[in-house]
Parts: sequence; structure tokens; C-alpha cells
Amino acid sequence: MSLIPQLLFTGLGIGAIYALVALGFVLLIRAASVVNFAQGEFSMLGAYAMVILSGALGIPYLIALPIAVVLMAGFGVLFAGATYWPLRHRGQMPVIISTIGASIFLANTVLALYGPSPEVLPGLFDTPGFEVGGVFMDSQYLAIMVTATVMVALQFLIFEKTLLGKKLQATSQDKEMASLLGIPVALMILITFAYSAALGGLAGILVAPVLFVSVGMGAIISLKAFAANIIGGFGNIPGAILGGLSLGVVETFGAAYISVPYKDALAFGLLLLFLLVRPQGLFGEKIAEKA
Amino acid sequence: MSSTATLAAAPSVIQARTWRGLPALAAALVGVLALSTLVPEQGYTLNIVMQAATYSVAVAGLVVVLGYCGQISLAQAAFFGLGGYGVALGTVDYGLPFFAALAAGVALATVFGVALGLASLRLGGHYLAMVTISFQQILTLVLNNWIGLTHGPDGVKGIARPSVPGLHLDRGDHYLALCLVALVCVTWYIWRLKTTRLGRAMQAVRDNEIAASTCGIDIFTTKVLAFGISALLGGLGGGLFAGAFAYISPDQFGFGESIVLLTMALLGGVQSPFGALLGTGLLVILPEWLRFLRQVYLAVYGAAVILIMVFLPDGLWGLTHRLRRPASVITGAVTPLPLLGQRGIETADIAMRIEGLAKHFGGLKALDGVDMAVRRGTVHALIGPNGSGKTTFINVVTGLYRPTAGRIAIAGQDVTGTAAHERTRRGLARTFQNIRVFRGMTVLENVMVGAERPGNDIAEQPALVVERALAALDFVGLRQDANRMVGTLSYGTQRYVEIARALAGNPQVLLLDEPAAGLNLTEKQELGALLRRLKGHGLTILIVDHDMNLVEQVADHITVLNFGRRIADGGPRDVLSHPDVIAAYLGEPRQDAAA
Amino acid sequence: MAIRHLTRRAFALSTAAVATMPRFARAEDTIKIGVVVPSTGPAAEAGKFGINGMRQALEMVNEKGVLGRKLELVTEDDQTTNPGAVLAFSRLSGRADITAFIGPIRSTQVHAISPDVLKAAKPMMFGGTDPTLTQEGNKWLFRCRPNDSYSAKVIAEFGTGDLKKQKWAVVFSTDAFGSNGSKALEAALKDKGITPVLMQGYTNQASDYTAVVLAVRQSGADIVGSYFTFESDLGIFARQLRQLGVTVPWVGSPSIVNTTALNLAGRALFGTYGVADYAVDATPASKAFAERYQALYKAIPDNQSSWTFDAVNLLARGINDAGSTEPEAIRAALAAIRGYAGAEGEYNFDDKGDGLRGYNVVKNENGKIVFDRRIEFKA
Repeated sequence: MSLIPQLLFTGLGIGAIYALVALGFVLLIRAASVVNFAQGEFSMLGAYAMVILSGALGIPYLIALPIAVVLMAGFGVLFAGATYWPLRHRGQMPVIISTIGASIFLANTVLALYGPSPEVLPGLFDTPGFEVGGVFMDSQYLAIMVTATVMVALQFLIFEKTLLGKKLQATSQDKEMASLLGIPVALMILITFAYSAALGGLAGILVAPVLFVSVGMGAIISLKAFAANIIGGFGNIPGAILGGLSLGVVETFGAAYISVPYKDALAFGLLLLFLLVRPQGLFGEKIAEKA
Repeated sequence: MSSTATLAAAPSVIQARTWRGLPALAAALVGVLALSTLVPEQGYTLNIVMQAATYSVAVAGLVVVLGYCGQISLAQAAFFGLGGYGVALGTVDYGLPFFAALAAGVALATVFGVALGLASLRLGGHYLAMVTISFQQILTLVLNNWIGLTHGPDGVKGIARPSVPGLHLDRGDHYLALCLVALVCVTWYIWRLKTTRLGRAMQAVRDNEIAASTCGIDIFTTKVLAFGISALLGGLGGGLFAGAFAYISPDQFGFGESIVLLTMALLGGVQSPFGALLGTGLLVILPEWLRFLRQVYLAVYGAAVILIMVFLPDGLWGLTHRLRRPASVITGAVTPLPLLGQRGIETADIAMRIEGLAKHFGGLKALDGVDMAVRRGTVHALIGPNGSGKTTFINVVTGLYRPTAGRIAIAGQDVTGTAAHERTRRGLARTFQNIRVFRGMTVLENVMVGAERPGNDIAEQPALVVERALAALDFVGLRQDANRMVGTLSYGTQRYVEIARALAGNPQVLLLDEPAAGLNLTEKQELGALLRRLKGHGLTILIVDHDMNLVEQVADHITVLNFGRRIADGGPRDVLSHPDVIAAYLGEPRQDAAA
Repeated sequence: MAIRHLTRRAFALSTAAVATMPRFARAEDTIKIGVVVPSTGPAAEAGKFGINGMRQALEMVNEKGVLGRKLELVTEDDQTTNPGAVLAFSRLSGRADITAFIGPIRSTQVHAISPDVLKAAKPMMFGGTDPTLTQEGNKWLFRCRPNDSYSAKVIAEFGTGDLKKQKWAVVFSTDAFGSNGSKALEAALKDKGITPVLMQGYTNQASDYTAVVLAVRQSGADIVGSYFTFESDLGIFARQLRQLGVTVPWVGSPSIVNTTALNLAGRALFGTYGVADYAVDATPASKAFAERYQALYKAIPDNQSSWTFDAVNLLARGINDAGSTEPEAIRAALAAIRGYAGAEGEYNFDDKGDGLRGYNVVKNENGKIVFDRRIEFKA
């Protein structure tokens, strides 16, 4: 029996979902020092946008997808205006609490509009997947893994090789210095919010065929993505990916060999362990010395 | 300025205020007991008041941890649940009397609260938030899945109420009276806590951890206490809740409920237990008023959280501050600062000795083997160009950074390995280049934190702490602003608050980190005068500054740093004409020295 | 205030006496039924279906009248939470003019308000299926759906009898519904001398079921019995079960045949069996109910509305049989009901307050739900 390879494939698939959502987290932490508790709702909204576009309006999938992502980017700017901008000088905690408020607001607004029944959103592929050497490869998991890889590469290229990326990096490292250098800091932060929301929305659209589209779909994923972030090292891009993947794998193997009902406890336990033993995560947080 | 005439019989202008409000407490207790007789023995009104009362106790816990101590806790419902399950399982499965079960539940909650507080040793901000969320999630899983212990998702029913002969506490209205008495006592305690030494320490930690630690506050212990008290109150509220409704199940203590409790605290105002009462009452009753909103009710809830954060950062209770009369002036003479009783005598004693101090950041040697001896009763200046390691030096000396090598001794005692607050206990006080005052507190409270420095002679006597703080304000001329919020003062004035805070602690050595930074010319002159007065009374001062004018006015001894090394050390005349200093410091001969 | 307080308490204490008085016995004076129902929160939609069923019954009942009067519903929102249910019930129980109650369909909510029902001392019809609810000596509770011990017995009976399978894998949610159901199924199988080869719990919204499916595969089971609470979980599990090549027969609790599950899981559920307390084609009474419901609401009814329909009818009959609105008389009359043909099946209340003892087995034939057979047990 191909037990272990199968578990590994699924674990990596689930982990890629966490990683993709975690990527959106990382950017906001780096650029604006915002820990966004509504990141999961970005995914939920992206999926619902797709349900409307390709389901209700009947727009072909490959055209609806970019429209939904662009809509999400716009939403990200709105989101920044409501939850971040008015509070940006008041420290971290007010922003954390206001993103929690936003998360409740968004989830329940969609609940009021769509009700609790999940919606179906088909994926790009007709085939559910194929078998290789006794391991069933779910096509949607494969799509998620590929997308996560592409997005990481893209993010790396943008951050390290373009002027925009350099400006974004400068903003995330030292806002005062960046604005002295003539970088439009406010614009850079808005771009980050837009990108983070678009990425979250894309993740939601990709996981929709796996988890269905429901109001609660974002909550659990985002909590895990957040955990992935901490395991990998807060605000660290490769860390978020590795953290997400290892969380997915640990969870899946934990469910198979230790306990299914407690698999979330295993994930959070791993997180607590990291927090207490190695709070800087696998890769370490970029901490600026300030005294 | 204080005159010597008041020295003889200095009446305490402010009585110990710890027990203030006891009459109010008694009146409130009589009030709620009377109120509880108006509530029917069972039914909707009873239930809703009971729910509001028990939730309020838990929300009061959030006031301590979030409002006073500034630590985000997203697990208050978990502590509420631990208390509730303590009572439920204690009375139903283990046959304990109600109060024994309540004590067990509260103890359990407190233990876990302290454990979460211990996590704050290494973590802050979003990490700590995540730890509390993880704890919340794991507890929910355990409550649901450890069926043998917790009855699982079915919940526990038939929870007993206390039986005290003659009191009939099993009756709804009588039990409500019990809950209300607990609530009144908790509210009173939290209200008074804010004005105690511990309460001020928590607020200092909230407003500025670094400044708090250099005021002698053990940040870690303070946070652990805040978490412990908060969890204790969560457990108490939960235990009373379990008795009130006779049935509990895990879904009542989930993450969502933690958010509800948090919102209650924020809406009412997290700085005051009265705000917590207000917020809880509103959010328990509001669902009834907002029934017309039906489906969108929770959405409105979420939007309200954002709006509160943006427009009502101090909650509804905070609005009452705007109605209050302007800050009053505290009059009456107080005993002057002890240091005013002495005359400056320069001695050969070493107040602080530093040997071979080094601090490396990776490959960068910010400090590289610096020696320094500060003699008692002198003003010692440390100067050097930007990036020469001055700020690193002061941060290592005060214990904010750990040195790579070297030794630091205060009054002959080695303090090299000790924490910042421990050095403050030995008599070290400091001010900061970028002012670090406690913005959420009044001027007087800021200075009281300084007076409460562990090791200070009067630290344990609340009445004398107020006197000492007022004396320090007298010395810097800020008595009339004592009751103003420190954030409303000008930058220059805030610097004096910092100095008063340091002086109130009656330090052995005072470290001034660029005290002239950001001051205008008049303010600089005033500062110079103040420093000369301090020098005149023989206070030992280590001053770090760029301002040659100021340094020349007051310094008895100057040490010069460059590239992390000491390049000169000695009397002002010798040092300032030393060619290495001139070269390093200015790159060219000093013009004003030449003039 | 003191006087008012006293009168109010005296009033509350004499609730029973007041209710028995033939005061204001005018024809237009209605008999009020207090209803605890979710109109907000996750179950709001289900709550709407419940109200639909009650309205439909009310229409029928009020044509003839009850003791020459009309029935009226007084609803309170339970917000889909346990404390919400307690508050909603306490609002209703505080009113002296309410004769009887219709309670929640969620077992934990019934657990939560059960002590208050005992205090209120008036009959409550409810829909929660946790078997223990009626076994704790609360004589005022009447269940209008078959409890989970019967759904488990039916699953076991159908799987071992009709399908002739012996090696059972039981997959269940660890919430109240799933864990009670799985325990009942384990017991029902034990009665047939079978020990399941796998008892596998999962937590709701687990998002991935690979480990569960592999455990089922490894166990060598030739039949799967399941208690799923949420359709989305069921949908993901069904898809992964088929993907990983498990094709053995599967008999599930009612959620496996509801519309949402069919919509989400699609082909993955083809060929499965489900037990359902309500099926349109089960009996003439259930068919009649469905026809009228479709005419009124333009939708096919499910168990959310069938049990509330029955609850109102049973209360009307109980009050008529009792000949008064005195709670004890109504309780006795309800307990004496035998052979009443409701939409859910034939009601015969036992001394505990359980009225139904049968489930329908239905089959998913390429996405269409087809009635297979009804299995009834003796009390």
C-alpha cells in the first residue's frame, strides 16, 4: 500500500494552501507591520466573487479569474482605508483589533447575503486527478502547488529585481528613511494591501473546488497560515512557504498516525512549541535594533 | 519652589488613597442587594441580568490585561470556560460543594493564565495574541473530545448552586444577588487597582516597556500578574455563569466568545471597570434592541468594532472624561527631595565603575573595551561624534543590552549580568534621548512610578510616594501640571517630567541621555540651570550629550568615545584641548574653543 | 415597587392556577404556543423551514378550531446558540398566557433548556434526536422525530440485513450529534453480534480527510456507516473516499441525502444509502403533507418542516383530547396518543415521550433520492 507517499502528497497539497495564504500575510507584516486577522476573509471573498462572476454571470472561467483577482486588489485598497489608515499612528494593537472587527463584518455580511449553505465552484480541470504508482494526485492540489511555486518566484523577482520591489522593501524596513528618499510610502503601503488581497483572493479561488465556498472557509485556513508564518519566521517569505508546507505535512501524518480529532491540536501544539522554544521561527524575523 | 520653612512639619497633603471609595463600595453593595429583590425569581429578566453580571466579571479581567497592562488576550472565553467547567464538573461529577468547585475552577483558570503570562517572557504583541488564540483553540478541542472528563459536546447539565443555610442561594433572585455582590467587589477592586503601585506598574509597562524597566519595574512579573488576575476573573465569571444557567457546553467558550468579550471591553472602554460594565450591559441587551437587524446583526457588530477603534479609542466610558472638569492643581507643602538636604562634596568614592566594556553587533564593534569611573558627587560627561557608541554605552550600562565583555559595578557591587530593573533597584536612574514618558498617565502618576523604585526609602508607603513625587515636581517646577495627562505637555516639559521621575527615585547615579536634544535655546538655558542646581546638591550625574556648551557648564570630568573606543578621559580643559578629541570630534579645530 | 414585585411573584407562582381558570373565554381569544426557533445565526434558514411547517399545520387546525378557539404561534429567536435558546425560552416561559411550547431541533439546545421546561411545567414538543433527552425523567418533553438510537438501528438493520455486510467502518463527527449517533450505531451492531472494524471520529470543518479515508481503506471494511453533521465535510470526505478507491456500500445519517450534500458532492454520493426521518413517498400522510407544502411554498419539504408540522397538529389534538388548556391534562392527553399518522410517521408516545420509532431508507440513484423502504421498531 502506498500509505506514506499518499499522505505526503496530501500534506504538501494542504500545506501549499496554507503557504499561499501565508504569503499574503507576510507582505502586510513586512510593508505595514500589520497583522491582518481578516486575511482568511480575503480568500472567502475571492471565492464568492468567482461564484458570482463565473456562476451567476456565466463568464468563462479563464476570463472571470483575472477579473476576480483585480476586484480583490481594489477591495484591498478599500480595506486599508477602513481598518489601517485611520489607525496607522496608534501602534499595532488597535490595527489588530480593527482587522478582527473587519473579519467578523465581512463573514457575516456574506452570511446574510448567501446563507450558510456552501456553494460549489468548479476548478479549471474536468478530471479530478490521476494515479501515479498508487498515489492519487488531486488535480486541484497540483494546481495549488504550481501556483504557490509561481507566486513565490514572482514575488522574489518583484522584490529583488524591480525598482517597485526595492521601493516596497525600503518602505517595509524604515518608513521614515523611505519617505526621506522620496518614496511615496502611502502608495507603497496601498499597493501592498492590494497585492495581499489579490493573492488571498486567488488562494480562495484555488481552494474552492477542494473545500467548497462557504463563509467559514477562510477562518481555519488563515489561522493555519498565520501559524505557518510564525513557524517559518515572522515576515519571512521562504519561511512562510516552508512553515506552511511543514504544517500541512505534520497535520496529515498526525491525523493518520496519532489522532484525527486532535490534528488541529497538533498543529497548534507545534506552533506553541515554536513560539516558546524558537520564537524567531525557522528562518528568523528581521528585527531592527531600536532602543 | 519649595522653601526650607516647610521642612519642619510637613503635613501629608494627600492621604493614602488605597481605601478610598469604601463608602461607595458599601453603598453599591446595598444597592445591588436591593436591586436583586426587584428581579423576578425566574424568567427572562433574571437570565439576562445574570448573563450580564457574570460576563462583566470576565470582561473586568480584560480591563486588567488589555486596558492596564496593554497585553492582547484572545482567550478570555477559555478562562471563562475553565471556571465554568470547574464548577460544572466539580458539583456534578465529583460531588464538591459549589464554593469548593468554584475555587477549583478559578484556581485552574489562574494557573493557565499565569502559564500564558510566562510565554510573554519571550514574546510580545502579535506573537502573544497567537499564543492566546492557540490556547483557546486547543481548549475547545479538549472540551469537545475528552468526553470521559468533560462530557464532550453534550455539555454538562444539572449544575448545582451553592447551598448556604438560610440564604436560599438556589433561588434565582438570591443567586443573582450573589453574582452582583461578586461583580461589585470585582469592579471596586479593579477600579482601585489602577491607583496602586501594581496598577501603575502595569500601565507603565503598557505605555513604555523600556522606560518601565529603567524605573525598576520587573516587566515580566508584572505581565504574569496581569495575565493571572485576568484569568482569575475570567474563571470567577465563568464559575458563576455555570451556576446561573445550570447547563454549559463547549460552544459557549469558543474563539467567537473571546471576541465578544473583547468587544464588550472595547466598546465600554478598556481603561476602566465601569467601561467594562457599560460595554457588557450594552452588548447583552443590544441583541434585543437590534432585533430588527436580524441577519446582519453580527455584521453590524464587526463594523462597530472598527468604528470604536477609529472614533472611540477609549470606549464609551472614555467619553465621560471629556465632561470632567479640567485637571485640578494640588496645593499644600510637602517634604522636599532628600537630596536638597545635602551639599555637594566631591569625593574620591567611585559611584559607578566600568571596566573593559564591549558590545558587538555581529561584526560591528559598537563598544570596544571602554573603561570609566564616575566619582560620587561629580558630573561626568560622556561625549563623542555621532555613531561613536554613546547610546550603545548607556543602553549597556542600564541593562537594556547585554554586554559582549566587561564589567559594570554600582557602588562597588557588580551588576554586569543583572536586568535593567535590578540595576534601578541598586540606585541607577536614567532619562532618554527620545523622551519615554508614560503617555496614558498623569504627570503625577509618571513621577510616582519613579518614586516607587524598588530600593527607594519610601517605595512601600503610598502616602509618602505621593509626597515624594510632588516634591520632585516642585524641584523641576511642574507642580501646577501634576494632574494633567503627560501627553498634553510640550516636548520640553515632558523632558522635565522624565527628570522628575528619575529624581523621585532618589538615585545614586543619574544618567542623562542627551537631555538637551530637541530643546530650544531658552529651554536649554533652563536645563543648564537645573543641572547646576543638581550638581550643587551633590547628585552623581553621568551626562551624554553633543551640546558642548551644556557639557562645559556642568562637567567635572569628561570621557570621549570614538568608534567604540575611549580616546580621552580627564578634566574638561585637558580633554577639550586634546588634539585627538578635536580631530575625531570635529575633524578640525573647535571654533568656540579657539574663541 | 415592593407591591408590584409581590404581585408579580404571586402571579408567577400561581401560573398554573391562572391557566386553568376559564377567564376571558371568548371565541377570539387564541391559545398561544411558544416557539423557540433560530431566526438569526447559521441555522436561520432551517428555522424558516420550521416556521413554514408550523404555519401549514396552523392553517389546517384553525379551520376546525381547538376547544372552539384558534391556535397562535409566539416565536422567539434562539440565535442558533445555547445561551440564546435559554434566553428565548425564558422569555416565553415568563408569559402566563402561553399554553405549550415547541422547542429546538438541536439536541444541545434542548439539553440547555430542559431544566427550565421542568420548572415551567408545561409540555414542550421538540426535534432534537439525542436519545438521552427523554431519558432523564422530564415528563414535559415530547419528541416529534425518531431518536438516534433508531437511526442507528435502521442503519445497522439495513446494512447487515438488506446489504448483508458484516465488516463495518463507522465515521462520525465528534460533535454532540455525531458522537451520540456513532455510539448508538456501535450498540446496534453489537446487538447483532458485530464489532466494527473501525470507529473513526473527526472534528467538524476538518478540511482534509485523507487520513480518515486511508484508515477506512486499511481496515478492510466492506461497508461504511456515517454520522456527518455538515454537508461540506460530507462532500469532501465523499470525494476523497472515491478518489482513493473505496467503493464499498455506504449508509449514512440523514445529512447524506439532503439537497446541499447532493449539490456539493455530486457523483461521489451516487449509489449511497441514507436514513431519513422524513421521506415524501414514505406514507400517505407524508405525501399529503408534501403536496400541500409545495402548493404553499413552491418547494419540496424536508425534515425541518415535517416535524414542526406534526408538533402543531399533535398539540392541537392533545388540547382537544384534554378538553382544557391545563398543562397536566394536555400532557396526559399527549402521552395517550396512539396511532396518529403524522408526516414523519405513526406517533405512539411511550412513557418517556418518544413518539416515533421508525426511519426511512432512501437511495441516491444518480443524484435522485429514491424511497427504498421504511423500517419500524416496536417500543
